[in-house]
Amino acid sequence: MSERIDQLRAEFERDLAAVEAEAGATALRDRWVGRKSGVLTAEMKRLGGLAPEERRQVGQLLNELKTGIEAAIDRLSGEFAVRREAAQLAAERIDVTLPGRREVAGHLHPITLLRQRIEDIFVSMGYQIEDGPEIETEFYNFDALNIPANHPARSRQDTFYLSERLALRSQTSTVQIHAMQRREPPLRVIAPGRVFRRDTPDATHNPMFYQVEGLLVDRGITLGDLKGTIEEFVRRMFGPQTQIRFRPSYFPFVEPGAEIDYSCFKCGGSGCRVCKGSGWIEMGGSGMVHPNVLRGVGIDPEIFSGFAFGLGLDRLCALMYGLDDIRLLYENDIRFLAQFR
Amino acid sequence: MKISYNWLREMVETRLTPRDLATRLTMAGLAVDAVEAVGDDHVLEFDLTSNRPDCLSHLGVAREVAALEGIGLVRPSTNLAAVATKTIELTAVEVLSPELCPRYTARLIRGVRIGPSPEWLVRRLEALGQRSVNNVADITNYVMLETGQPLHAFDFHQLRGRRIVVRRAHVGEQMTTLDGELRDLTPEMLVIADAERAVAIGGIKGGEDSGISAETVDVLLEAASFVPGQIRQTSRALGLATEASYRFERGVDPLGVLDAADRACTLIVAIAGGEVLDVAIDVFPGEAALRAAENPIPFRAERYRALTGLSVDIGEASRILGMLGCRVLPGADGESLSAVAPTWRIDIRIEEDLIEEVARIAGYDLLQTTLPGSAGAGAYLAGEEDRRAIRRLLTNAGYHEAVSFSFVNVGLDALFSTVDESQRMLLLDPIDETQSHMRTTLLGGLFRALEHNFNHGSRNVRLFEIGKCFIGHEGEDGRPREVERLAIAATGARHELDWQNSSARLDFFDLKGVVESLNEALGLPPFGFRSIGVDSHHPALYPGRLYPGWLHPGRAAEILLGGRPVGQLGQLHPHIAGQGRMKQAVLLAEIDLAALLNSTRPESRYHPLPKFPAVVRDQAFLIETSVSCDSIISAVRDLNLPNLVDVRLFDIYAGRELPAGSHSLALTFIYRADDRTLTDEEVSAAQERIVACLRNAFNAELR
Ligand SMILES: [Zn+2]
Repeated sequence: MSERIDQLRAEFERDLAAVEAEAGATALRDRWVGRKSGVLTAEMKRLGGLAPEERRQVGQLLNELKTGIEAAIDRLSGEFAVRREAAQLAAERIDVTLPGRREVAGHLHPITLLRQRIEDIFVSMGYQIEDGPEIETEFYNFDALNIPANHPARSRQDTFYLSERLALRSQTSTVQIHAMQRREPPLRVIAPGRVFRRDTPDATHNPMFYQVEGLLVDRGITLGDLKGTIEEFVRRMFGPQTQIRFRPSYFPFVEPGAEIDYSCFKCGGSGCRVCKGSGWIEMGGSGMVHPNVLRGVGIDPEIFSGFAFGLGLDRLCALMYGLDDIRLLYENDIRFLAQFR
Repeated sequence: MKISYNWLREMVETRLTPRDLATRLTMAGLAVDAVEAVGDDHVLEFDLTSNRPDCLSHLGVAREVAALEGIGLVRPSTNLAAVATKTIELTAVEVLSPELCPRYTARLIRGVRIGPSPEWLVRRLEALGQRSVNNVADITNYVMLETGQPLHAFDFHQLRGRRIVVRRAHVGEQMTTLDGELRDLTPEMLVIADAERAVAIGGIKGGEDSGISAETVDVLLEAASFVPGQIRQTSRALGLATEASYRFERGVDPLGVLDAADRACTLIVAIAGGEVLDVAIDVFPGEAALRAAENPIPFRAERYRALTGLSVDIGEASRILGMLGCRVLPGADGESLSAVAPTWRIDIRIEEDLIEEVARIAGYDLLQTTLPGSAGAGAYLAGEEDRRAIRRLLTNAGYHEAVSFSFVNVGLDALFSTVDESQRMLLLDPIDETQSHMRTTLLGGLFRALEHNFNHGSRNVRLFEIGKCFIGHEGEDGRPREVERLAIAATGARHELDWQNSSARLDFFDLKGVVESLNEALGLPPFGFRSIGVDSHHPALYPGRLYPGWLHPGRAAEILLGGRPVGQLGQLHPHIAGQGRMKQAVLLAEIDLAALLNSTRPESRYHPLPKFPAVVRDQAFLIETSVSCDSIISAVRDLNLPNLVDVRLFDIYAGRELPAGSHSLALTFIYRADDRTLTDEEVSAAQERIVACLRNAFNAELR
């Protein structure tokens, strides 16, 4: 009888080897171990005709065979399932190098980027950001700033007038006066904003540009405090290695006055195209608030002293981003605007 | 202004090389832009501040060098032989306008030979960019460059009446200047005249008829002072700027006049021959005022320390001020002094000016770096946090930030604004006549920017701007209201980077979505939107403004916050889009930013999460298109159904098979109770009430 079992096993092995698809595995299961017409089921039924001892022996052999066959078919079905799933996933393959789905990012204007950086630095140093009108009276734009009556800046050649008395502010220093009128010292003010001068647009001029004005008034403030403050600012702005130097200069609303230079952020002072070979870049004007300005807003210059400084954002922007024509700043070309972050 | 290094060394023996001298002077406040080698000399190019006209000469710069290096100053030499004939025997000077001419001096030189200048003189002038004319004219130029005092040489025999009259020009008077131009003069201008006619424009340029020529034998040499303001105005009015006017309009020392004249006479006799008559005629009506202005200015060591943070030795301060030409009077306490500023230093008036002088000669590099003591926390501008939130939101939504000029083309501005002409501010002297008005809207600038981008091939453009607009004159001193606004413009692809969906174009609802999300970002209650038709009148936001005609009349909405109008939103009117050659839809919005920044924010409150499930019902209605979605939803809400927690639109369908003028609105209704799961019957009963309500109110039919 064991020959019969061997014969069946060999027959199954042949059938198993012949299966090529998942459906074949199901058919194989039906043919060999199916409840109704399975080959082994039929063999099991035939056991009834055997003697009890032989029935027990053959039955055991048949059961072993059945367990083996079922395991083999399960293994085969498993393999087919894995292959089917793999094929399915392969069919779902995408080109992962296709672009992601998103909005084109918009960008802040480079002037805003710089202004926010500067505001952040000074707010962290205890300054208050202030704002003033773009249209000013002669009082705020000139008189209160100690600008002499015959100063060329007052002429219609240089300043945009809207009437006998009103003009577009020609410097953000006007905000100093508003701030000192509104509040008592001590005060620390940063005033960024638009200013206007009658310059014909060219690669380095616009009739409108942005300035940032700084003012500090307190007891015992010195030029050394101004120098220290500016040094702190440029180091946070351009890096800890940045140097500054003060040159005597003239601005009617300060005395003593100083022009501030900082060491070139590009070459570090050895000279390059950005700093025109000098190693230094002009930052802007500064100085101790003129006693006439203090007295004009009711502050006693013998008790309080203060410093003021101003810097031009457009020029800084041009230097930092390597702009060769600052007219681009106000053309709002998206190919330009998209370059800054 | 140019200075010759060799010439300078005739007056001060500097130990510095040209380059080192340039650096030293720059660090002392006389900025040298460039140093150029010219032959065996070097030329220093200065960019002087307007307060230092005293340095517009070799003598002035030499004085600074002497003070900086602590070395002696040698003044240009004069050497005039005694002559028996007196100047006043042959000529006279009359100053009729002393208010414009504080001093006028004249010298007569007889028997000169006009000819070419010697080689050294020509070279020196040329190195400084001056052309040689003839010996006498060159000498007047030379002495001006040397001393800073402009001079003028007349051919004495061309002066009718042989006399000088300093007066205002007559009405309608004309004169031909040395450059051959016929000039129209006015009584605001000062002229130098002879007995009959103007022969020079005082302090600016000489006349053609009276100048030095090859035939000139006798010379009247003018050395004078003029009032800076008048020179500036006349120079501007005539469009005539000269080396002389440049100096006079900044200020020339009235006490240097005679020295300069004597120096020129010395050179004329040496080079062109002739003799100088005895004693200059010197009319000096401004002398008393000049002397009266010579006040001692105090200087306290303590004040110096208070302003600079540095201590100063009063002896050192005295030495520096003395080198600069001040008359120094020691103070009683040894800790102060007073100083009378020299007449050439018009910029020194108060103690702080003296402090700067001492500090700059001592060197600003001595300044310490200190930090003022702490003064508490800093603060941003009110509303800055919101502005930054808006900027972040818009840039994330693909919008670039634009910045436009505050002044615009009035026609362009008027396209987007109904601000009355009388409420506009305009520039008296615009640079560009077409950009002469202060903007009353930001939309003009954004429209121009869209055009610019279109012209440069960009068809997908999203921009926003935050800035001020200027309306009316009701403020103090006639100032306008400066209104801060936010404007947004968008056109082109809805999803520029979406390669599967590249044909979708931005429409009204895209920009509306951006506007709606502003409130979310700022924590404000939602905006309301109201259709604005042709007949609407909205005085609240822009006084006197009618329907915003720049918007498509069927696609224009007013933006409301708390029921108050705060802006508009819509599609650009096709007529205006066409002017910019834009065929695609352009969406615009403008919002009063102040209204947003100043409005109160509801506080966040926790609501318990629902414990029982919601029941959702979808229902489509056939309804006339003239009925707004808002009114339908409002009608449903007004029923106040107890368990209806939300109702929203989820689809609109407008197929051909529907009756004309109708469409199908599909709404989602969400029901929920806090204490139980709702039954089907309860929800169906509520739905029936809704259906009945919409049928009654809007003739809506179920679909
Ligand atoms: Zn550099």
